[in-house]
Amino acid sequence: MSSSPVFPSIETGLHAAQPMEVIKVLVQRSMMRVRRMPSAFIPSLIMPVFQLIAFSGAFGFAVTSLGIKNALDWYVPLNAIQGASFGAVGVSFGLINDMQTGFFDRILLAPTRRWVMVAAPLAAAIVRCIVPVAFVIIVGFLGGMNTPGGLLALVCVAISAIGIGLVSCAFALGLTFRIQNLGAATLTQFGIFFTIFLSTSQVPISAMTGWLRSVARINPMTNVLRLARQGFLGDVTWEGSWGGLLAIAVLLLLSCWYAMTGIKKFDQ
Amino acid sequence: MNIAITDPHLMKSGRSLRSLFQHSFVLTKRSVLGRLRQPAIIAPSFIFPLFFAALGSASFHKLAEDPYFTKNIATSFLNYAIAGAVLQGVLFASISAAADLAIDIEQGFFERLLASPISRTSIVLGRLAGSMVVAMFQVTIFLMIFIGAGARIKSGPFGFLGLVIGGALLSLAMSAMMAGLAIKSGSSEVVQSAFPLIFVLMFLSSAFFPRHYMSGWYRTVADWNPISHIVEGFQGFINQELDFSQFAKAWLLPLAVAIVSIFFALRSLSKRLAGS
Amino acid sequence: MSDSPILASGLVRHFGSGANIVKAVDGVDLEVRQGEIFGFLGPNGAGKSTTVRMLTTLLKPTSGTATVAGYDVVKNADMVRRSIGVALQDAAIDPLMTGRELLALQAVLYGLSKNAGKNRGEELLERVGLTEAADRRVSTYSGGMRRRLDLALSLVHEPTVLFLDEPTTGLDPMSRLTLWEEVKRLNAGGTTVLLTTQYLEEADQLADRVAIIDHGRIVRQGAPRELKAMVGSPTLSIKVGIDQTDEARSILARFGDLRTTSEGTLGVGLARGAEDVATVIRALDEAGLKVRHLELDEPSLDDVFAEATGYRLEGAGTADTGEKNSEAVDAQESKGRRKRRNRS
Repeated sequence: MSSSPVFPSIETGLHAAQPMEVIKVLVQRSMMRVRRMPSAFIPSLIMPVFQLIAFSGAFGFAVTSLGIKNALDWYVPLNAIQGASFGAVGVSFGLINDMQTGFFDRILLAPTRRWVMVAAPLAAAIVRCIVPVAFVIIVGFLGGMNTPGGLLALVCVAISAIGIGLVSCAFALGLTFRIQNLGAATLTQFGIFFTIFLSTSQVPISAMTGWLRSVARINPMTNVLRLARQGFLGDVTWEGSWGGLLAIAVLLLLSCWYAMTGIKKFDQ
Repeated sequence: MNIAITDPHLMKSGRSLRSLFQHSFVLTKRSVLGRLRQPAIIAPSFIFPLFFAALGSASFHKLAEDPYFTKNIATSFLNYAIAGAVLQGVLFASISAAADLAIDIEQGFFERLLASPISRTSIVLGRLAGSMVVAMFQVTIFLMIFIGAGARIKSGPFGFLGLVIGGALLSLAMSAMMAGLAIKSGSSEVVQSAFPLIFVLMFLSSAFFPRHYMSGWYRTVADWNPISHIVEGFQGFINQELDFSQFAKAWLLPLAVAIVSIFFALRSLSKRLAGS
Repeated sequence: MSDSPILASGLVRHFGSGANIVKAVDGVDLEVRQGEIFGFLGPNGAGKSTTVRMLTTLLKPTSGTATVAGYDVVKNADMVRRSIGVALQDAAIDPLMTGRELLALQAVLYGLSKNAGKNRGEELLERVGLTEAADRRVSTYSGGMRRRLDLALSLVHEPTVLFLDEPTTGLDPMSRLTLWEEVKRLNAGGTTVLLTTQYLEEADQLADRVAIIDHGRIVRQGAPRELKAMVGSPTLSIKVGIDQTDEARSILARFGDLRTTSEGTLGVGLARGAEDVATVIRALDEAGLKVRHLELDEPSLDDVFAEATGYRLEGAGTADTGEKNSEAVDAQESKGRRKRRNRS
């Protein structure tokens, strides 16, 4: 507690809200929104599963002809990452909605640290990522997916998916803080879409040609997909993991910085 | 978006065939201008199909090493991907056009048109014709881009024309169906919700990958999916000499769907008018 | 150091730059004294909300200084936020949540313990008359109920200074009166209130002192009674035929100063008020001019505004006509809010 220099007899407000308490209540609010408006969340659940079926059914030959046993082994990690990223980006739609209703002003007026306003949506995004990932993996198992890497395969895909989900969410927050309308959501989805597809989303690098090969080689998503897929195609090794882990760490750092500089603009 | 209808001919009764054409022409013009003035709406129906085609060509180029592919399907995956891109672009643009009609209903402009002395049918026909015009424009641009990227249309200028007209007929079929839905529901959200369904249908076809290489239930669905046959008609124009089967698949099939869809749209319109 | 809860000096806020610069607030000085209700009156786009947003730390001033509850709004923004309650132009609520949930959330944001937050929430729901609706989603609430909830949210942490930005815009007369009573009750309990409004009667009824803002600058400031007395004598407004306007104007000018009145009428200040009315009408009659309508108005804040700015307050009228005007006003406000959000 502290006193106003003008009114020493009055304790001004209360102690600053505990960051973890604020994060907890804002995550609860995010989950409540999912329960009360499931139509906003369901697409991020259904679309990855549909794409898994569509890609493995339509393009399966392109990967099985390269020696991969089951097309699902190739596509499950991709669609898990897609599901996680679109599920996580949904958090920013809630933020846009708050800006449109004016509720965001109320959050800005609260005496909470600005970093909490980034941390809370990211925490909510973790929860929102897990459901689509689990869904895709379950469908993969039902379709006969292989996991020669054992439990580590699932750990790698979970790390990749949640990591990219957080990156997507942070990026979406940064854009939303700056643009403050639905255009941010569209741009985010475009960004994620192109980043994912301009990598080894469809075929390995060895099967690519020309411009796509050049782009995929430098696209960090290629490393992330390698991390995610290795356990479904063979053993999980450090060689197959470190590139993806580094890519996730760097992308997370950059996207969180982008989000933080976005929220700080409200103080400028 | 409103474009004032200033043609004095529209003051005449909407009952004659002449006025139907005149009113439809004006509303077609409005529809086309409305689409072109919303680049943010129309851009995705250009960008995504071209992107997928480029991605497919770069990812699946090894398919061209399969003799079956080069002999029976296409000389390159780029040549194969054109038809799917055209189909995708036309279908998505048609859904957007119908969403515009739904927005007219939501915002009350539809009522304004109904209150004016224009032919009722022209309200729908104008939208459909506008959609066809945009589709022809879109297909032409797509083909020019693909030719610039190295693709070749084996059936020559007639094949080019066949594709443009096929795209227009497909657009007619899809936008009539979506227009019926728009008039029935009066909601642009309902119309937009058709997008995932179309997306699903396109994947469950040979739009993005040849049916020959699919298997199991997926292959069965693709075999029965009319989109597979329409897109293969388009592919025929690109990868084969001119043949009646291409016209049958690329023209007659969409035309058949269009007839049913137009009937659905006009019936929805008359029900709506009867209800109001 | 002044002990005023709100003190602003030379507050300026610009948007845009170069040829496109918009001076939303162009040098505002104001002082709100402890325990008073201070009215901030002006038309749409005058700079009221922008000033409030600067004082509540939502917008950084381009230049100038301001302190709220003794803290600088820029350097000690966090402490300012702990001390103030704010109910903005839009009722800032989440339609998917219930009233009780929103109060609980607000309590956590302001650092109340779970129990304290719960008790405080119940107390506030009772106070604003929303106990029965507390577990319904806010999307089912009427406009008046949303405003009351918004007010309750701004009071969760018992602020010493309360900012209300057009709190009754769009409300029906009964809801407006209810809100006025609540504001008076809060003020009686010691809360200092800064209230922005475009309703003259609201400023008249509630405010101890009023500042009139126009085009980003304060044009008049003082107690409503004092401001009205400055304008002087009552205004006689008459309506004559269009072709008789010029002649009527020259006759009226003989009796007092001509004044700006509503469109289609002519106005003159009468030093002796009602006593002079008969004389004026007789003069008009003798000139063969037919008076179609006449009104004698005591000076109002609208007169003060007109005298200061040269035009009447847009959408002006009593609070009873607020509903009629609110649609047009709301449309403008929405535009302003969207622009403001894009700028900030």
